[in-house]
Amino acid sequence: MRDQRRNVRLPKGRRRIAGVAVLLAVIAVAAAAIAATAGGASARTNGKPTITLATNSWEGSLANNVVAQYVIQKYLGYKVNLVTIDEIPAWTAMAQGKMSAVLEEWGHSSQYSQYIKKGHQVSDAGLEGPNGNIGWYVPTYLMKKHPELKNWKGVKKDWKLFVTPQSSPQGQFLDGSPSYVTNDQALVKNLKINLKVIFAGTEAAQLTEIESDYKQKKPVIFYWYTPQYQNRIYKFSQVALPPWTKACAKLKPVAINCAYPPYHLYKVMASTLPKTAPPVAKFLRRFSWTSDDQNSVAYDLAVKHMSNGQAAAAFAASHKSLIKSWLNSKTPYTKVSPPPPGT
Amino acid sequence: MASAEARLPLFDIGRLVRRLGPLAVGIAICIAGIASSGFHKGFPAKWVLGGGVPNWFDRLDGWVTTNQSSNFFLNTIIGGFGNVLNSATNDLVNALHWLTWVGVLVLAVLVAWLVGRWKTAIFSAIMVSSFGILQIPNGGPNGISDMWQPAMTTLSLMAVAIVISTIIGIPLGIASAVWTPVRKTLRPVLDVMQILPAFAYLVPIVVLFSIGNPAGIVATVIYAVPPLVRFTEVGIRTVRRDVIEAGEAFGATRRQVLRDIQLPLAAQAIMLGLNQVIMMALSIVVIASLVGAGGLGDPVLQALQTQDLGMGAVAGLLIVFMAMWLDRTSAALGKRATRRAGSQKRLTRLQLSIVWGGLLAVVLVAHYGLNLGDWPSGWGFSIVDQVTNAMNWVTTQLTHVSESLSSFLTLHVLNPLQSFLNDFPWWLLAALVGVAAWARGGPRRAVLLVGCVALMGLMQAPVGYTFQGTTSYDFSAWGDAMQTLSLVIVALALDLVIGIPLGIAAYRWRAADAVLRPILDFLQTLPAFVYLIPVVALFGVGNLAGVTASFVYALPAAVRATTLGLRAVQREVIEAGQSFGSTRWQLLLKIELPIARPYITLAVNQTILLVMAEVVVAGLVGAGGLGLDVVTGFSRSEVGLGAAAGLTMVLMGIVLDRLSQTRQLEGGQG
Repeated sequence: MRDQRRNVRLPKGRRRIAGVAVLLAVIAVAAAAIAATAGGASARTNGKPTITLATNSWEGSLANNVVAQYVIQKYLGYKVNLVTIDEIPAWTAMAQGKMSAVLEEWGHSSQYSQYIKKGHQVSDAGLEGPNGNIGWYVPTYLMKKHPELKNWKGVKKDWKLFVTPQSSPQGQFLDGSPSYVTNDQALVKNLKINLKVIFAGTEAAQLTEIESDYKQKKPVIFYWYTPQYQNRIYKFSQVALPPWTKACAKLKPVAINCAYPPYHLYKVMASTLPKTAPPVAKFLRRFSWTSDDQNSVAYDLAVKHMSNGQAAAAFAASHKSLIKSWLNSKTPYTKVSPPPPGT
Repeated sequence: MASAEARLPLFDIGRLVRRLGPLAVGIAICIAGIASSGFHKGFPAKWVLGGGVPNWFDRLDGWVTTNQSSNFFLNTIIGGFGNVLNSATNDLVNALHWLTWVGVLVLAVLVAWLVGRWKTAIFSAIMVSSFGILQIPNGGPNGISDMWQPAMTTLSLMAVAIVISTIIGIPLGIASAVWTPVRKTLRPVLDVMQILPAFAYLVPIVVLFSIGNPAGIVATVIYAVPPLVRFTEVGIRTVRRDVIEAGEAFGATRRQVLRDIQLPLAAQAIMLGLNQVIMMALSIVVIASLVGAGGLGDPVLQALQTQDLGMGAVAGLLIVFMAMWLDRTSAALGKRATRRAGSQKRLTRLQLSIVWGGLLAVVLVAHYGLNLGDWPSGWGFSIVDQVTNAMNWVTTQLTHVSESLSSFLTLHVLNPLQSFLNDFPWWLLAALVGVAAWARGGPRRAVLLVGCVALMGLMQAPVGYTFQGTTSYDFSAWGDAMQTLSLVIVALALDLVIGIPLGIAAYRWRAADAVLRPILDFLQTLPAFVYLIPVVALFGVGNLAGVTASFVYALPAAVRATTLGLRAVQREVIEAGQSFGSTRWQLLLKIELPIARPYITLAVNQTILLVMAEVVVAGLVGAGGLGLDVVTGFSRSEVGLGAAAGLTMVLMGIVLDRLSQTRQLEGGQG
């Protein structure tokens, strides 16, 4: 029985594994100790804190960050990290001081009031420049064939054009990512249009679907926006919705029956940034450009496959005076007022 | 074996009563229901739990957000734990950098060689080198194209997550094997952890731990720890009674029996559980990137953003390579832990010290002598463009066929099934579930499952409730649950129809097994985010794209469990069949398959759970349903919506799981 017991415990094999484990642990701890003494300062370079910018899920957001990163690293001497993150978690992270800034915000009025107006953990960093335009779009070839589509009433009449297996027997209205600002479910219901809103779930899936319809010149109606670099590749035309009014803006989200409001895209930063990195905060407030600027950088990144550094350097080379004005603390900047639209 | 006996008596009165009882009650309920309320459609929209479940979660979220800095628990305990996780990960990243790429490579090879064979070592070398060799232009942090650094970040995150999982999982497994109340409490908790989609708890995790490493690690641990708990528990419980009794006869205390007999004998099961933890953890690397943890998930998300097929595929490949490397090494370690002492590689203490000393010397020379760091950029290349072109070519060739297939299946299978389920009266569904559950697991299970079905309907928000956000979003848990159920049914049917024959083929023919193994490995660990775009390009946005994602993810489980079940059939039984002159097909159909039936039931059960786990992805390719609700909840930070939809999914998963489990299975094997 003693023998069997020893067999059960498998002493030799286990001891050797334990040995391997202990050695690994010792190496890891030793390496960690060395790295910790050396790496303790790695969060700061030359005593300057590392700046983190949030990259959201659309390419324009990356275009902003790439150029800002280039300018901050080259002219202000701070290290900049770009962190891929969704929109709302980025607000939470800024409030906790773990994210320095977001350079393109659409709407988000409830976060604006929660973190900027009430909590003061996040600060307004002024307007970004481009005006965001959200709406209903169809490919231009379709608009040419069916000119009545330039208005929502035409869509109401022609809903049969947009029937797909997924939406049948209704027509299909193709929405993108559910994280983007949309009123389409309410609009379709309140305008009594026989369309079913299908969320593609991600902008990538939506665009893949649009692309494949575009190639085959099929009818499709979808949620889209500017600035967007894809508008340099595809020709889309906007469908007019009932005009946006102040009265309509006051309606509950489920009752909305008018077009999307114009969005003045804005920037926000952690409230601690002006204290920890004053030159960066000054620059971020003055960073402002046009839709075309952003589209061209996004195009270079996504379509021409330029690296972040190349795309930013190419832009900087052709826009020297613009960059100079961003770095000049006498340049005026516009604060976000009135606060972003939305209920 | 039990099933063969049970079929013998034709008129077993007790059995008849057991089957008839629930049936009679079910029929009575249906007649009463139709008589009193008619053939109602769906679930009544007015029936909402007080104020709506989403509402409760929204309020809880509000409380946490406002009390974060003042509450001791939130601030000190949770925050402190987060800091520990964060610094551990950063230290590991720095340590791997300090080891230099040569050091990491040599260490990986040495460990693989020590625990396994030369083959394992060479495989590890190839896999680890791939992190440096396969570059992705613009794929790394700040636009660099070397993938070494992101790979090391992912490796560190995984290491910390795996250590935490071990610290939590093994004691919990032991506790639930020893104390029945612990097992009974843990079971539903583990179910929730496994079925609740990560998207549903990402927002609360970000609120508690902020973005970055801690959030990524916590999400990974929640998803990856259940199999370790289950394997440990089953491993300990299935130690043969006679062995334990022998120990007791020699006067061993309960503690000694556990420590010296049960735990060592359960070592293989525990190692298998650890192996599962590694695979599960790597399958949600991309989810960790959604909360800013970085690593190899980032290029996958970035590829999604720019619809860059090649970039996503190469990044996915690197994740698969890391999974295969860690899988093979840990599997070798698991085998070694249980192998007899005689067959092991024996190194004397001196030889071992030479090996480790050599490693230390290599690292020191590489670090201080040669000033090496991460893998040199010049030693790699990019195959992204070639992969993109190849994938585009394939997609274009197949589009014609796949589009007509997609519209046929959507119009004639998925849509009718969906509208049928949607119009099906909820109480009739509940009654059917109750009857089936009663027949399968007795009245208690019937009550549990009927309760689950009713709760699914009650999860909905009050009509017109618009959550915290600024835009409207329709949410009715019942309708969305039925839509998701239709996807699950179709994906499951495809998995079983294709998976079980493949499993049989892998059992019958060695060549089939050899071909299938790497493919299944690949499918199991390739992040779903990689194939979202190709799937949409092939099938278009919609139901079929959603079905495909779940189908692909669960297929390996269906195939593997079938093969395993057939292999468990004892040789003597087969030989007995052969001696009676059965042909190979007769043998398979009459002996092997019936005996393997409990395992095939288990395969069905596992496939259901995996289909459920992945059905959330359907929301990302336009199939809607609960998946879209959960994703919306995450991306709009609407905790209430995400939680309500996630819980509905869990309830559905529990119903399907319990319906597919028989009593014997539940008691015996896991």
